[in-house]
Amino acid sequence: MDKILEVKDLKISFRTSGGTLKAVRDISFDLERGKTLAIVGESGSGKSVTSKAILGILAGNSIVEGGEIFYDGKDLLKIDEDEMYKLRGDKISMIFQDPLSSLNPIVKIGRQITEAMLLKNKAKRREARTEFNSLLETLRKNMAAAVGPASAAEVKRMTETFDKFCIEANRLENRYNLSGSKAEDLEDALQDFLFLAEKGQKTDVRGTLRDYLHRIQKINDPFYTARYEDRLSACAGNLQKALTAYQPVKDKKGKTAPLPQEITAALKDLETLLEEMKAQERPNFFRIGYYKMEHPNEDLRHRPIEELNAVALECLNENFMDNFLTVEEKGIRHSYETALEAKKKLLADLENARKFFGGTFDKASAGKLCKALSAKVEETIDRLEIVKDSTAYTFHSSLKSAIEKYFYYKAHNPREEARYARQTKKLEAMTARGKTVDWKVMPKRVYDLEDLQNDIIQIIQRLEDHYRSCIAAPETDFRQRSIAIVDHLKSKASDVVYRVTKSMAREKAIKLMEEVGISEPRMRYKQYPFEFSGGMRQRIVIAIALAADPEILICDEPTTALDVTIQAQILELINRLKEERNLSVIFITHDLGVVANMADDIAVMYAGKIVEYGSAEDIFYDPRHPYTWALLSSMPDLDTNEKLDAIPGTPPNMIYPPEGDAFAPRNKYALKIDFERQPPMFEVSPGHQAATWLLHPDAPKVEVPRIITKRIERMKAKLRESEQEGGGQSGN
Amino acid sequence: METENKQEVLLRVEHLSQHFGKVKAVDDVSFEIMKGEVFGLVGESGCGKTTTGRSIIKIYDITSGSIYFKGQRICAGTASYKEAIRQARQDTAAAIRQLKSQSAKKPEQKKENDARIAELKKDLQDTIAQNRRKIADAKYDHKYSDREYAKRLIQETHERYKPLLEAAKNSPAELGKLRKKYADDLRIAKNTKLITKIQMIFQDPIASLDPRMTIREIISEGLIVNGIKDRKYLDEKVYELLELVGLVREHAGRYPHEFSGGQRQRIGIARSVIMSPDLLIADEPISALDVSIQAQVINLLNELRSSLDLTILFIAHDLSVVKYFSDRIGVMYFGKMVELASSDELFAHPLHPYTRSLLSAIPLPDPHSEKKRTRITYNALAEHDYSVDKPTLREILPGHFVHCNNAEELRYKKELGL
Repeated sequence: MDKILEVKDLKISFRTSGGTLKAVRDISFDLERGKTLAIVGESGSGKSVTSKAILGILAGNSIVEGGEIFYDGKDLLKIDEDEMYKLRGDKISMIFQDPLSSLNPIVKIGRQITEAMLLKNKAKRREARTEFNSLLETLRKNMAAAVGPASAAEVKRMTETFDKFCIEANRLENRYNLSGSKAEDLEDALQDFLFLAEKGQKTDVRGTLRDYLHRIQKINDPFYTARYEDRLSACAGNLQKALTAYQPVKDKKGKTAPLPQEITAALKDLETLLEEMKAQERPNFFRIGYYKMEHPNEDLRHRPIEELNAVALECLNENFMDNFLTVEEKGIRHSYETALEAKKKLLADLENARKFFGGTFDKASAGKLCKALSAKVEETIDRLEIVKDSTAYTFHSSLKSAIEKYFYYKAHNPREEARYARQTKKLEAMTARGKTVDWKVMPKRVYDLEDLQNDIIQIIQRLEDHYRSCIAAPETDFRQRSIAIVDHLKSKASDVVYRVTKSMAREKAIKLMEEVGISEPRMRYKQYPFEFSGGMRQRIVIAIALAADPEILICDEPTTALDVTIQAQILELINRLKEERNLSVIFITHDLGVVANMADDIAVMYAGKIVEYGSAEDIFYDPRHPYTWALLSSMPDLDTNEKLDAIPGTPPNMIYPPEGDAFAPRNKYALKIDFERQPPMFEVSPGHQAATWLLHPDAPKVEVPRIITKRIERMKAKLRESEQEGGGQSGN
Repeated sequence: METENKQEVLLRVEHLSQHFGKVKAVDDVSFEIMKGEVFGLVGESGCGKTTTGRSIIKIYDITSGSIYFKGQRICAGTASYKEAIRQARQDTAAAIRQLKSQSAKKPEQKKENDARIAELKKDLQDTIAQNRRKIADAKYDHKYSDREYAKRLIQETHERYKPLLEAAKNSPAELGKLRKKYADDLRIAKNTKLITKIQMIFQDPIASLDPRMTIREIISEGLIVNGIKDRKYLDEKVYELLELVGLVREHAGRYPHEFSGGQRQRIGIARSVIMSPDLLIADEPISALDVSIQAQVINLLNELRSSLDLTILFIAHDLSVVKYFSDRIGVMYFGKMVELASSDELFAHPLHPYTRSLLSAIPLPDPHSEKKRTRITYNALAEHDYSVDKPTLREILPGHFVHCNNAEELRYKKELGL
C-alpha cells in the first residue's frame, strides 16, 4: 500500500489574548491510497485544525511550531501559496462543517457548484500537459542514455509518435464517453418519466418530449452510434410524430389522463435501444489511435469492434509498442541504477554531514553544506518513479528550515532570557513596593538549542536510513514499471483532452445534486442558498467538494447536521466515490457510530494528541484507552438499557495544557503517574497503539466498563450467528 | 387505546393540521401523551416534527384540529369547520339543482320536490349554524384557554382559603398574615397561564440564551413574568435549580458566554423546569452538543423526569437516543404520522416501509455488521397505491398504529401472524 499523505510530529498553536493555545501537540499519522482514516474526538480536540493545516487554510493567528505533512513529494507546510493553490480543491478537497458560512449568499447554487469545475479544468489541463511533457522528456533522456547516442534520433522519433497518438486516442475516447454518458442520462430520465406517468403524476409531456428529442441529437459520437444510426433516427422520428399528434386531455378534477399509447411505445423503443447501445463492446481507443495514425484514410466506423480491436492491437504491437516497451524498460533500469549508484555514494556524505552538525558550526558553512548536500540528494532521485519519494524530495526544504530555526533561536534565546529577567525583576520590585500589578510576565519562549541541533541530525539520519533500506530492497520488475508509466502517461493525456464546457458542467452539477439527495435539481439549480434548509445546504457543500474530482477528500463533520436517512445516503455516496475514484478520505467526526461503516483506520484524539490509533476492528472490538471507552459508553445503541456512562467535566483549557495525561482529571481509571507524566504510545498489536499508562506492564489491572464488554459480546454473538448462517448456506 | 385508558392522558392532539400557504407541514396528526411518559417524535428534517412541537406550545396558530392539555382545549383551528360549511353548501346546491330539473321534466312531482328542497335548505341552515358555533367555540378556546384555566385556579384558591380564614377569625395578627398570603396566591392564580405548564428546551443552546442577561435573570424571568416579586424567594429558587441541573450557585451571576455548550444546555433546562411544568417539549436538545456532553444531558433529563414527575415530548432524529429515552415513539413522514407504537414494539416489529427504511439507516458502533448493512430505500409512490382506497391511521396491534389502507392492514396483520 502506498501512502498518499504522511503527517509527522505536527505541532500547531494559536496566539490568543489569553496566551498561546496549544491546539495540536505532536501528532503523526499516514493516509493510504484508497483508504479512509477517521479522526474522532470532541470539539476542541484539534481534529479540524489538523485538517485545515493539510489544506493550508489555518487562521491568521496560528503558529505551526513543527512537523511535516508530506504529499506527492512536497511538504505542504513549507510550499508557497501559488503551489498550494494548485493542490487545494483540485487534489485535496474539503467538506466543511458549517454549511451556512461556506456558501456565498449572493451567488446561485448552480454557479457555485460549477465554478470550481470550470475554473480548475483549464488549469488542470495545462498542468497535465506540462507533467505529461516533462515525464516523457525525462523518459526520453533516460532511454537515449540507455541505448547509446547512436539511436538517440530513433528514440526521439518514438517518443514523439507516442505523444501524438496517445493524445489523439484520448481525444477520440473522450468524445465516445461524452456520448455514452449522455445516452445514460437520457435513459435514466426516461425511466423516471415513465414511472411517474404510470403512477398518474402530473408531468409536462410536451416539454419533456422536446427535451428528449434535443438530447437524442446530442448523442452523436461516430463510434458510439456507428451501428445504431438508422434505429436512432427512426426512434426520433416516431417520437416527433407522437409529439405532433399529442393533445393534452383536460380533466376537471385535475387528474391527468394516461399517456397515449404511441408515446409510451416510442419511449419504450428508445429505452431498449439506449440499453443496447450501452451494452455494446467498447473500442480500445489507445490501439485505434495508433491504427488511425498509420492508416489515416481508412473508414473505421463500420468495421465490427471486436475485429477492429484485434487488428489495431496487432498493428500497435508489431509496429511500435513492443519495441517501445523494450527500450523504455532499459531506460527505467538505467535511471534506477544511476540513482542507486548515487545513493550509495551519498551515504558517506550524509555521515560526514551528520558529524559536522554534531559539533559546533557557523551559519555560513552550514548554509554552504546544506546547499551542496541538497544538490547531491537531487541527483539521487529516480525521476521516473510515479510514487514520489517524499523523504528525498523534501530533504532540502526540511534541512534548510531546521538550520534557519537553529540560528534564529541561537540569536533569539539570550534576548528572550534577558527580557524575562527584566520583567520579572520589575514585577518583583513593584510587588515589593505594595503595588497591585495588572499585568503578567509573559512566559519565555526559548528553545533548547541541543534539541534543535538534534532535529537537524534527525533529518539527515532519516534520509540515511531510508536510503539504506532502498539499497537493501530487492530489484523491482522493470517490465511492470514501464507498463505502469505508460498507464500514467495515458491518464495524464486523458486529463489533457478532458475539456469541461458550461453545459457539461451544468449536467454534471445536476447529476451531483441528484446524487446527494436534492429533489428537483433542475429547478433548484437556479436558486440562492437562502432558499435551502440547513440539511440541503450541507448537501450542496458536499456536491461542491466532489465536483472537482479530488484525490484526497477531507470531510469535517459532514453529516452532523443531517438526519439518519440522509446521513446514510451521504455516507454511502462518499463510500461509493471512494471505490470508483480510488479516493482517499480523512473523515472527521465525533460520532463513533458513523465511523464504523466508513473507516479503515481510526485515530482517537483528545486535547491535541492522538490517544489511540488502530484499525476499525481494533478500536471497536478491543479499545484500550479510557477515553475511547468513555466515548463508546456515552452513546446508547439500540440495545442499551442501563444508565449511560457520561464523562464528567469538560475538556481542559489548552492554554495551560496539563502536565501529565490530559484526560486524567476526567478519567476514573487515572493512576497517580497520569497526573505527572505524559504516557507514551504503547503498542497493543501491530498497527494498534494507545497512549495510556494502563498498558504499562507494571500498571494495575482494570476492568473495561461493563456497558462496553456487554456490547462487544453482543456484537461477537451476532457475528458468529451470521457466520454460521453464511457457513450453513455455503454448505448447502 | 382501551388498554391504556387507565393512565391519565396529559396531552391529546386531534387531527392537528398546520399549513403554511400551500405547504402542509403537518397534516391530520393525532396522538396522545400519557402522564409521566416520554413520547419520542422522529422523522427526517422537514417532516413536521418541530412544527408539531411548536404548534402545541402555541408558537403557531394551528390551521385545524384541536389540542387538549389537562382536559382543557388550548389550541383549536377552524379550517375544517369552514371546509365543512363550504362542502355542505355545494352539496345542497347540487341536490336542489337536480330536484329542480326533475320538476321541470315532470310537473306532477313539483309539489313533492318543493317540499324536499325546503327541507334541504333547512338542513343546510342547521349545518351552517352548527359549524359556526363550533368555529366560535374554537376561537374562544384558542384565545381564552388561559383565562378559563386561571378562573378555575382562582376558584380553587377561594375554596382553599375559606376554611382557613374562618379558622383564623379570632386572632387578628394571624388573619392579617393570612390575608396577605391569600392576596398573593390570588394574584399568582390570576396570572398563571395554562400554557406555562408546557415548557420547551431548544435545540441551539447558544442562540436560545440572551447574551446580555445573567444566568439569574434568564432562569428567573419566567417567574417574574408570572408575578412573583419576592427577590429572596427568586434567588433561592434559582440556586435550587442550578444545583438540580448540576451547576453551582456561583454561576448565577455570570453571563451565557462564560459557559460551555453542555452547561448552556443545562441552563436552558433549568429555565424551562423552574415553571414546574407538566409537559416538557425537548426539541433536539442534544444534537448541538459534544458526544461526551450528550450523555450528561440525557442522564440529567432522565433524572429530572423521575424526580420532578415530568412528561416529555422528545423530538430528535438520532434513533438510538430516542429508543434509549422514550416509552412510545411516533414516526412522521411528510406531515403525516405513519407509525406509532411503544419503543420496543416499534423496533421489534416495524410495519410501515418508511419506518423500516429509517431503522435500516441507523449507524451502529460495530464495523462487522455495518459493512454488511443494506439500507432500505423508501419511495412513497412506488410503495403504496392509494388511488382508490384511502389510508388512515389504524390500530394493528393494541397500542401499535400504522398509517395504511385496507389491503395493507391485512398484509401487516398477516406479517405479524394475526
